[in-house]
Amino acid sequence: MIDESRPIFMQIAELIENDIVDGALAEESQVPSTNEFAAFYRINPATAAKGVNRLVDEGILYKKRGIGMFVANGARALLVDRRREEFFRQYVQPLAREARKLGIGKEQLAQMLSRSETETETTERSVAQ
Amino acid sequence: MTDPGESTIIEIRNVTKRYKDTTALDDVSLKIDGGKIYGLLGRNGAGKTTLMSVLTAQGFQTSGEIRVFGEPPYENDRVLSRICFIRESQKYPDDFNAEQAFASAALFFSNWDKAFAQRLADDFQLPLKRRIKKLSRGQLSAVGVIIGLASRAELTFFDEPYLGLDAVARQIFYDRLVEDYSEHQRTIILSSHLIDEVANLLEHVIVIDKGKIMIDDDAEAIRGSAFTVVGTGTRVAAFTAGREILHRESLASLASVTVQGRLSEAGRAEAAELGLEVAPVSLQQLIVRRTMDPGPELSMNGAATELEVSP
Amino acid sequence: MNRIVNVARMQLINKWTFLGIPAVILAGAFLVTYLIWVLIPDGGPTVYSGAAQAVMWYFLALGIQSLTLTFPFSQAMSVSRRTFYIGTVGLFAVVALAISVLYYILGLIEVATNGWGQNGQLYALGWVAGSHAVVQILFYFIAMLALFMVGFWFATIYKRWRATGMLIVWIAIALVLLGLVALTTWQGWWPAVGAWFVAQTPLSVSGWVALFCAALAAGSYLTLRRAEP
Repeated sequence: MIDESRPIFMQIAELIENDIVDGALAEESQVPSTNEFAAFYRINPATAAKGVNRLVDEGILYKKRGIGMFVANGARALLVDRRREEFFRQYVQPLAREARKLGIGKEQLAQMLSRSETETETTERSVAQ
Repeated sequence: MTDPGESTIIEIRNVTKRYKDTTALDDVSLKIDGGKIYGLLGRNGAGKTTLMSVLTAQGFQTSGEIRVFGEPPYENDRVLSRICFIRESQKYPDDFNAEQAFASAALFFSNWDKAFAQRLADDFQLPLKRRIKKLSRGQLSAVGVIIGLASRAELTFFDEPYLGLDAVARQIFYDRLVEDYSEHQRTIILSSHLIDEVANLLEHVIVIDKGKIMIDDDAEAIRGSAFTVVGTGTRVAAFTAGREILHRESLASLASVTVQGRLSEAGRAEAAELGLEVAPVSLQQLIVRRTMDPGPELSMNGAATELEVSP
Repeated sequence: MNRIVNVARMQLINKWTFLGIPAVILAGAFLVTYLIWVLIPDGGPTVYSGAAQAVMWYFLALGIQSLTLTFPFSQAMSVSRRTFYIGTVGLFAVVALAISVLYYILGLIEVATNGWGQNGQLYALGWVAGSHAVVQILFYFIAMLALFMVGFWFATIYKRWRATGMLIVWIAIALVLLGLVALTTWQGWWPAVGAWFVAQTPLSVSGWVALFCAALAAGSYLTLRRAEP
């Protein structure tokens, strides 16, 4: 859950983002209060608030006065777009770099990707059985 | 309760406290803002209790100036009535039981919440009618913790409040502290040497060592402000050359070095290139590293061969 | 002011300390003394008993406890040293005054009942009982206050300077007393000193002890001002 490598407020923001991306927190649904986050993760309430406020600043959450915090309309699309961009920089670019180094062509790379998919499926199925 | 906002509520300048042959506080200057949970961290005997004592005028500084809520706290009932400080070695009247100690607290702390104290006593399974003199060490700590929490003083000190409390009771304390602080914001100064346990509760960290303030920073700024690289000695030495080294350890050809500073993306890539593992450093490890000598230098052409004892 | 009253209320949270135990000692001392009188064949002269002093000695111990344990606790209650001092000494003065009045009334009853029917003398001590009511009450009051202040002051000394402080104080007291005895002997003042003591009345003794009390009160306050819990 909370680890030591980065500021906690960033981790809280990411935990909420994850829930929005995988649908656990639907758009227009209410988000737990900062005090609830603080109590659940046993962290300082001000730190939890900082994480939530960051998402408010980015337009992912919005405040309803006197009621609480809600997921904004279009938040999921916004996050998915951002994550895709991050995915490209964090995974695809190094992958392409390494592939070039090893002389793996585009078609070969595509083949490898589809192979990885079937292998993942088989492992998942065998785990499920 | 007045606004617990961000304004400075404690200001001390060049405070020194000398006992016969030791200097417990050595020219300490410090500002503390209202409305936050502070961690006052350090080893035993680093000066934590002494600092809290002079801040609450229970003890006296040898020299220097102290202002709390804008005034010197010494013999100042106006200032003192807004403070609660139960010592780790707090004494109680011989004939008192916990219930009577709470009844006293109700007389002096205007925000005292009797129902909350009762609930905490239940949580800690504290026998209210037994004389305090006959309580176990953990139960004695619980009495202090309950007074500290239920007093809801604008400025509350907890002096190593967990002594003798088991893991469950300590967790109860941390949970109640976070819950109650969420609803009743105030300034809390929590002294501790069990740093890992409290790290996530803190908004601001003050580390004191040998009577001097060593770190005074936002907890979030400290988090990730150091990292450890592990790998082959020569490669680790190459990677860490020119960086500020907090600690070195080596075992055969392996070396583990703790470096001050944030690791950039480029640095992370470089470490990966060299086949080095990078691990975050916890607040506790960071403080241990920074209050200790770094250890012998690694040579570039081979790691030190002797096995060092890690702290 | 409110906090001063609260210090007194804090001292009274455990009713036994300031009220219960003194009452038990008072009653106990009377009963034991009375039993002894009943068991001793009567017809003899007036039987004097010092048992009534017992409660006064308890106040010496109370003075010590007030400082060693209640003072550190009052610090945790965020009470200034001055407030603690005034509240504690003030409460004690009220209790001591109440007991003094009680002693006076018991003395009247004692005289009226011919020494509780046993020709005993417990409260109406000959030398004091002849004085005016106010002087009698004042005498008891000052005596109790003096014992409390002695306990309180010794405890403050101990609190601040520990065993070394106590040792130095005792040596100093011994030296002063020895010096006075030596001086008196050397100057041949003993007859004059004897005459002076004989000439003292309950009122003048109260006055001297009050002076002593005032000195102790000032001394213990100044020591307490710099004491750490």
